[in-house]
Amino acid sequence: MAEKRKYKKRYCKYCETKTDYIDFKNVSSFKFSLSERFKIMPRRLTGNCKRHQDMVTIAIKRARQTAMIPYIVDRQNVVTNPFEGL
Amino acid sequence: MTHYELLFVIKPTHTQEEIDAHIANVKASIEKDGGVIAATQNMGMRKLAYEVEKHNRGYYTAYYFTAKPATIIEVERLIRINESILKFMTVKYAKKKEIIAWETAVKRLNNPHSAKEEAVAPKVEVAPEATADSEA
Repeated sequence: MAEKRKYKKRYCKYCETKTDYIDFKNVSSFKFSLSERFKIMPRRLTGNCKRHQDMVTIAIKRARQTAMIPYIVDRQNVVTNPFEGL
Repeated sequence: MTHYELLFVIKPTHTQEEIDAHIANVKASIEKDGGVIAATQNMGMRKLAYEVEKHNRGYYTAYYFTAKPATIIEVERLIRINESILKFMTVKYAKKKEIIAWETAVKRLNNPHSAKEEAVAPKVEVAPEATADSEA
């Protein structure tokens, strides 16, 4: 009766590991919450809960300010491998 | 006394001695007004995600310390004057859970085992999806 689920059930990856604080210096810890163009992925796609999404958002914005991750990846400034050195 | 973390990026054009001197300067400015440095995270020369003052690389250092709020104003003032520092970020750890995170970070950095964690961080990650499961 119910429509068949297209993707597997999402869950908050941070709740699973009981994360209380996300360090902005550790880019790999929030990498999956970033899109290919380094935008913040919405909660409906990553499955993060509200509490952890707020933490991720703060960590990403701090990482952007300290030049750990780019603000934007555009076609004017083509980088061969944007993930290099992160 | 409040828990803080200070991250700053030094220009890549300097020699190692000059970089060390600048790091010592920042350390002195924190400790001058009764600040206590708990741990140092030396992240080394990293590629910047975007160009900052025409530089593509930078030398990252992070300090974990406790200090009075007034100290931060003075430290940040000195950092802004210093032209060798490209970027800096002060993070306050105020909530109970944040302070626990601060303490674990300090413990991890003062522990010799911490070398593992730091080696993993600057590693090249190719596929963002691949890291999702391992890092969670």
